[in-house]
Parts: sequence; C-alpha cells; structure tokens
Amino acid sequence: MTTPADSNGRKVTSLREMPQSIEPARDLWPGIEAQLGELPEGAASGGTVPARRRGQPLRWLAAAAMLASVALGVWIGRSLLPGTAGIGTPQVSANRTAVPPLAPTALDAAYVSDPRYAQQRAALVQALQARLAALPPPARAKVSASLAAIEQAKQDLEEALGRDPGNALLQELLVNTYQDEMRVLTDVHEASDPGRGI
Amino acid sequence: MRITLRAATALLLYLACASGRAAADTTFDRNVPAQPRGVVEITNVSGDIRVTGWERGEVSVHAELSAGVEQVEVSSEGGRTIIKVLQPHSSGRGGEAHLQVKVPKDSELTVSAVSADLTTGGVLGVQRLDTVSGDVTAELAGADVELKSVSGNLSLKGHGQPARLHVSTVSGDLRLEHGAGDLEASTVNGNLVAFLDSARSVRARTTSGDVRFEGTLARGATVDATSVSGNVTVRAGAEGGYAYEVSSFSGDIGDCFNATAERTSKYGPGTRLEGTRGDGAGHVRVKTMSGDIQLCDHR
Repeated sequence: MTTPADSNGRKVTSLREMPQSIEPARDLWPGIEAQLGELPEGAASGGTVPARRRGQPLRWLAAAAMLASVALGVWIGRSLLPGTAGIGTPQVSANRTAVPPLAPTALDAAYVSDPRYAQQRAALVQALQARLAALPPPARAKVSASLAAIEQAKQDLEEALGRDPGNALLQELLVNTYQDEMRVLTDVHEASDPGRGI
Repeated sequence: MRITLRAATALLLYLACASGRAAADTTFDRNVPAQPRGVVEITNVSGDIRVTGWERGEVSVHAELSAGVEQVEVSSEGGRTIIKVLQPHSSGRGGEAHLQVKVPKDSELTVSAVSADLTTGGVLGVQRLDTVSGDVTAELAGADVELKSVSGNLSLKGHGQPARLHVSTVSGDLRLEHGAGDLEASTVNGNLVAFLDSARSVRARTTSGDVRFEGTLARGATVDATSVSGNVTVRAGAEGGYAYEVSSFSGDIGDCFNATAERTSKYGPGTRLEGTRGDGAGHVRVKTMSGDIQLCDHR
C-alpha cells in the first residue's frame, strides 16, 4: 500500500500529521485577473454563449443532485443511525479531519462542523469528571474503561484513515464512534443527575 | 455481685443489638387498587427490585428497608401507580430497599434504578427499564421493551413472541434468549449475545465488545452489525435466504459455505465477502475495522 508523503517528502501515516491549511507560495490573483480580462466580453459578464448555455441545464442538474445527496446523507445520519437521535449528530465535512472526544486532536474542527454538536459535546466533557465521581465506584471504573475504548477506537480509525483516506467503511465506523461517544457522555450525564438520588 | 454485673452487661448488649436490628430492617407493606392495563412506575436507588405480574387488579408492595431509607411512597390515581423509595436529602449515601412488587399482568411498567438490581417476570405490557449500575433480568412477552443501563449486565429471556427490543448499555453485557421480532442493541465494550427464534430485524453495534447473533430470520429480515474492534459472529438461517455483504478493514472474514472473501484494494488492507444464500429475500450486513467476522447460514 502506498503511503502519502508531505511537502518535505516525509511519510504521512496519520491525518494528524497533515497541516490544517496550505498557503500558496505566491499571490495567484493577478494571474487569474489577467486571464479573466482575456475572455470575450459576453463570457466574462455572464452573457450569452451558445455552447455554455447548452451545458447549463446539466450543470444545474448536477448541482441539484449533489445537494440532494448531501441532504439525504445528513437525513440518514440524523434519523436512521442509532445512538444519538436528536443530539446533534456530527456532520462529516469534505476534508476528513477528526474530532476528539475527550482530548481534542488537530482534526477536530474540520470533521465536526455542526456548532450545536460541538457546544453540547464541550459542555458534557467539561462536566464529565464531576459526573463520573458521582457514580458508584464499580460503575465509574466500567464507564472509564468504555471511554478509553472509544478513545482507542477513534485513534485507530484516524490512523487507518490516514493510510486510506477515502475508505468508506472506516469513515462510517468513525462517525458511529463519535455518535457512541456522545451517547456515553449523555448517558453518564443523565445517570449521575442529582434527581436520581446518587 | 460479679455475676449480676455480667448479666446486666449482657442484657444491655442484647437490647442494643435488638434495637439496632429493628432500625436497620423495617418492613413496609401496602396494596392499592390498580387498573388492569394501567401504568406502574417504580423508583429505587439501591438494593433490588422484583416485579411480577399477577391476575389481581391491584398493586402489592412489600419492602425491606435498611437504615438510611426515609420512606416508601405509594400512590395510585387515574390508572397510574407510583412507587418511590425516598432517601434522606442530607446524607450522602442512603440505605438499601429490597422491593417486591406485584402488578396486574397487563400493566405498562417503568422502572428507574441506580445501583439496584432489577428482575421482572410475568409482565405482559410494555417495559421501560433504566438502571445505572444495577443488573437487569427481564422476562419478555409480546410487548415492546426498552432497556437502558450504564454498566449493569442485562439478561433477557423471551418466549419467541415478536416484540420490539431496544437495548442500550455503555459497558454492560447483554444476553438475550428466545427473542423474536426487532432487536436494536448497542454497547461500547460490553458483549452482545442474542439468540432469536424469529427475527425481523437486528441492528447491533459495539465499539470493542463482541457480537454474537444466532437464530432464524423471518422472510425479508435484515441483520446489520458493526463493530470497530469487536468480533462479530452471525449464525442465522433464513426463510427465503438472504443476500450478505460482509466487510472488514483488517479483520479476518470466515464463513461456513466455502465462499472466499476478496480484497477490496490491490495494495491496501480490506476484505469483503458478498453473495446470496437461498432466494436472497433477507439482507445481512456486517462491518468491522479490526474485528474478525464469522458468517454461517445455520445455527
């Protein structure tokens, strides 16, 4: 299996090792502006060009199909996948970066783009230690082991995605794992609610 | 004189022990009328809860209470019976209550517990059982069951009557025997073991726990099991057969019908097994990252 390399030729084994953004070496806008100036007036101003007009319906159809696919994917993620219905399921962005459960990684922000999810998760993580302390000791130990298992699963999946970024199976399992983490955080929060008498 | 002193000391010790026992082991009994298909809600933090269905139109509560339990409240109104074990607000840790509750057998049952173990039997209505660390043993009838636990182990026994079972635990194990109908189960690092007499749909998900499903699939049934690192075993015959799609990133895939898993990439890891058994009326999908998968079309 080939392993991607970064700009220095160093082997990249995990998404964590990749930069968040890459600045172009020089300002590209002057060249783009110059090329736009060379186009026929009608084309530059969005005027009528027969060949382009013929292609426009197809382009709109493609855009509509893409939007429908995204909407379907979001609906499936929110409605059909078990675990966190109504909690703000993480949305997978185009550049596959990960978000961290308990210890944020460099990949977080890009992977989970839903701010509601991020806010809820941050609040639950912040309250986690206090909530764990409220659980009976045997339950606390078991839940800690579960959270460690989730953390390990996320690391393993991220590393595997670093080797095979387009793998749909790994992507699905990573989303599942984020949902499971949210479910555990929510369950622990509810279980140690003062109203339950712990 | 010395003998009299010893006798007095012994008597004092006996009285002290007797009064201590009485404070630690009080009992509570109460019966209230209830509707045959009413709702019964039970809350108990610690101890255990045993609920059984009976033919009478009343709810019977028998409780043994240790020191630290404030009281047991029982109320019944408008088809809803509420049983609450109250702990004193001031103390950090309350006492234990051992509850034996009899309910009309068609009642709808809702139980919330923290570290109390829970057992139900002979209840034919819907059951919603929720514990933090207590274990749950429940007998299933034909009604829906929703079971949620953080770290308790869950043991369910049915009689092959179809129902919808929704089971969720964080670190507890689940064992289901003679289930039927629809099962949705998830755990992080607990193990899921389900024996279903006739399944319409099975959805199972773990992070690192193993999944084992054995049983018979109804015609057109679906099985969907995923795990990150847990092993998944599906041994299921099906009326009308099923199409199967099994894939793993780095786990091994095995089967009992001599099909061969193919690599999903020429250069990287990943294997997939696809095919059809019988008419292909049902559908079996299994996915793991590193867990091994075993698929067989008979138990």
